Amino acid sequence: MISPVKVWRRQKYIREHLGRVGTIVSWTNISVAGSYTKEFAPYPVVLVSFKKGDNMYGQLVDFKKSDLVIGKKVISILRKVRKPTDDSVIAYGIKFKPTS
Amino acid sequence: MSSIIGYYTTQFGELWDKSLFDLAREAISGVLQDCELEKNQIDAVFYGNMMAGVLENNLHGGAKIAQLLGTHVPIFRVESACASGGMAFHLAHNYILAGKAETVLVLGAEKMTDYPPEVVVQALAAAASGEEQEAGLTFAGLYALIANYYFSKYNVTEEDLAHVSVKNHFHGSLNEKAQFKNIITVQQVLKSSYVASPLKVLDSSPISDGACAVVITSNKQLLANAKNKVEILASEVATDALSLKDRAYFDRLEATSIAAKKAFEISKVKIEDINVAEVHDCFSIAEVLALEDIGFCKKGTGAKFVAGGKVTLGESSSFVVNTSGGLKAAGHPVGATGVKQIGEIFLQLTGRAQKRQVKNAHTGLAHNVGGSGGTVVVTILSNKN
Repeated sequence: MISPVKVWRRQKYIREHLGRVGTIVSWTNISVAGSYTKEFAPYPVVLVSFKKGDNMYGQLVDFKKSDLVIGKKVISILRKVRKPTDDSVIAYGIKFKPTS
Repeated sequence: MSSIIGYYTTQFGELWDKSLFDLAREAISGVLQDCELEKNQIDAVFYGNMMAGVLENNLHGGAKIAQLLGTHVPIFRVESACASGGMAFHLAHNYILAGKAETVLVLGAEKMTDYPPEVVVQALAAAASGEEQEAGLTFAGLYALIANYYFSKYNVTEEDLAHVSVKNHFHGSLNEKAQFKNIITVQQVLKSSYVASPLKVLDSSPISDGACAVVITSNKQLLANAKNKVEILASEVATDALSLKDRAYFDRLEATSIAAKKAFEISKVKIEDINVAEVHDCFSIAEVLALEDIGFCKKGTGAKFVAGGKVTLGESSSFVVNTSGGLKAAGHPVGATGVKQIGEIFLQLTGRAQKRQVKNAHTGLAHNVGGSGGTVVVTILSNKN
């Protein structure tokens, strides 16, 4: 179970990382997922590197198959990341979409 | 100085008729029989287990083991994800070196197959970072990110990687305790379904039940009377950031390099002296990284090193890797794996590995990884003394 308080605490971090443009340095397409994300599988996850030298992960959305390549520019966006909890709290987090 | 004097492993696999503590009981009883000791000769127990708390709401296992043993000795549960067994061994070894005990039993046990795969996958992900879990990354997904990065950097293919599983299934076919004893082909690996691309079902270790135990001692009388003994030359641990994204490299596990370097320095063993190694092949890419990061071959060449038969029983006369079948074929009950790796080296160095025996093996290495590389334990054993 994900505590609603944990979801709330996480939001403070997330808002600082929206709208960042980076480059895919690796990717995978998850076919066998855990119970929290099983209903969304298969889904792609990208490892993105930024000019500042830090890296982030997130699922890639709004993309064409040809976008799922190393070197593709992507931007971080806000999206739902889990199904709602038993308390009806909807967890939002970072995903990525191609910049072009 | 301390040495291993006994080892036992249960069958690995889907053992629906056995509970976690049925397996633990069998392993404890088996190892005591192997080294001809009584329960009251054990001064302490170190117990490696990762998932009982998450999957079964089953914690405080040390007291349960005390109940099985009918003892009041110190018992410590150790959790370091898939390195729980190796870490339990490391701590037991150091407990003896510190003078707190002479004879210690190290148990690794895990019960995983009572639950649907997605529940086990989610429970395993508890050993990943919060950001990794939020992104929907599984451990297969994390190693897949490593694999795709590695493929791009070193021009390695899925076919190159497939040889790791083919070799480990061949070795598993010679191990009666292995979960999988079937020989597979490169084509079968390539045709298997993706778990997290580019890693497929046959690139991946299974969900397993199993338990293993070793007894280590510094007691001079026990050592003098031991039918089988192998000296522990080094057991070293290194760590790294929990999140793969926060590490210095994506094409190597730096903690492996650091732990191996320390282990070679302390043991005064040269890498070319190693005859047999058990390395952590939770996914085929992981064995490739291990071979490179320990220093058995150059970075970027590990898959071709394996494909060329240089570490396969019967093809290599000097150095064989994962004679047990590795995690891939022997199975991966996560808390037990690190103990099984050390136990397999013990069997090899005491000439008791039966059909998979490496001739004249005298020095061996075990490499156990927690998570995607956040914890690594490297152990070096020898039968020379």
